[in-house]
Amino acid sequence: MIIDNNKKRHGVDNVQRVYAQILENVSHVGFALLIGGYFVYIFQLMPLSVPIDAIAQNWHLSAATMQQKLNTPSGWSFFGSTSLLMKGDVVSSLSIYYLATATIFCLLFAIPAYIREKNYIYTTISLFQIVVLLVAASGIIN
Amino acid sequence: MSTATSVYRKLLMGSAAAFSALFVCLFIPVISFAAEPHIAEQTAWWVWMILLFAFSFVLGIFSVLAGVGGGVLFVPIVSGFFPFHLDFIRGAGLLVALSGALSAGAPLMRKGLADLKLGLPMALVGSISSIAGALAGLAMPANIVQLLLGVAIMGIATLMMKSKSSGSIDSQEPDALSKMLGISGLYYDEVSKKDVSWQIHRTPMGLVLFMVIGFIGGMFGMGAGWANVPVFNLLMGVPLKVAVATSGLVLSINGAAAAWVYIFKGAVIPLIAVPAIGGIMLGSKIGAKLLTRVNTRSVRMIVIIMLVIAGLRSLLKGFGI
Repeated sequence: MIIDNNKKRHGVDNVQRVYAQILENVSHVGFALLIGGYFVYIFQLMPLSVPIDAIAQNWHLSAATMQQKLNTPSGWSFFGSTSLLMKGDVVSSLSIYYLATATIFCLLFAIPAYIREKNYIYTTISLFQIVVLLVAASGIIN
Repeated sequence: MSTATSVYRKLLMGSAAAFSALFVCLFIPVISFAAEPHIAEQTAWWVWMILLFAFSFVLGIFSVLAGVGGGVLFVPIVSGFFPFHLDFIRGAGLLVALSGALSAGAPLMRKGLADLKLGLPMALVGSISSIAGALAGLAMPANIVQLLLGVAIMGIATLMMKSKSSGSIDSQEPDALSKMLGISGLYYDEVSKKDVSWQIHRTPMGLVLFMVIGFIGGMFGMGAGWANVPVFNLLMGVPLKVAVATSGLVLSINGAAAAWVYIFKGAVIPLIAVPAIGGIMLGSKIGAKLLTRVNTRSVRMIVIIMLVIAGLRSLLKGFGI
């Protein structure tokens, strides 16, 4: 039976411990932001870029049609405008974006740990994975 | 004090179970009727949000009891009974699957059940194909996606009816690729009170299948635990508990990759996504507590019936009926 020398009790190696710790921290913050952002949005504690009623009247349309009709901010478009960043719906969207980047943070911390272990195969796999996620998050492929 | 707490807990669990049963029997037809376009337009948005939260909460309970991810139930069932366009449901479905995987990930990794070395290579190929699947799914006409979704749901329901997972795995000779990647593990099984060591085989075939699963997951915005687990367990020889836990790890990466495509296409709107995530996650926690007290075989049968109904509805929608 092949057991990795780095694996300690319960077969958990150091990199996995690092990954789990970051995952826990990032996801706790993410869920707090998700709830906070949604309350800011639906109770309209900040002005909205698109009224909730307008979204509700058009949510039977496809995403492309709704975006065309209501000019809803998507991707990173709101980063070009400071006024958009102060909108309740954008704040709620940002909390979702944060959750979608959670695994990138985990991998960023896993790579130095893999390098310390001289595990260059998994360093490369992790690097490729970050590139894939960054390409997706950049919107280039859209 | 402890007796009062115990009674309170029993009452809470009983209420949750009764509410779930009532919801399935009564609310689904009501929601289905209300989702008709002319009625949906007259219903206030916040009513839909409360219904979505409650519906997702029940799905969360059922998904845990039936041993499937919330994401796989969310898209077919919500698309069958709510007035939202399939694009927004798929966007929310991916985030539901992603959030569930993120919240469960850390403790499972610490116990050695979710294995990073097993998950990362599968997630790398799966995330690339899930992006391709998401792009393809959003480029297709909605009726075609609805039709394909109906076929996929029927396939999943059939798989759930026929699948027999293997809890204990006979020792297999590891293949060359898994040796090179150093994929093997050891975890403590709390039921048998023993350390269980494992290794895998058929890794190249596993990689190919994870690519296919990633594409399907991205296209329909579903979590892919229903497919990841059998590939890990039955094909590659991963023990069931490790397969389930590592499937979540793979899902957290694949889901994130595909979610960005939906975000950039404007298919993720927080108004719909957040109550769905909140409902499923809360329901999953209650479901986990109910797990030991409920006949999971009956629940699994209810879920299969729900999937078949949702699949038929999806097929009919796809045909424009």
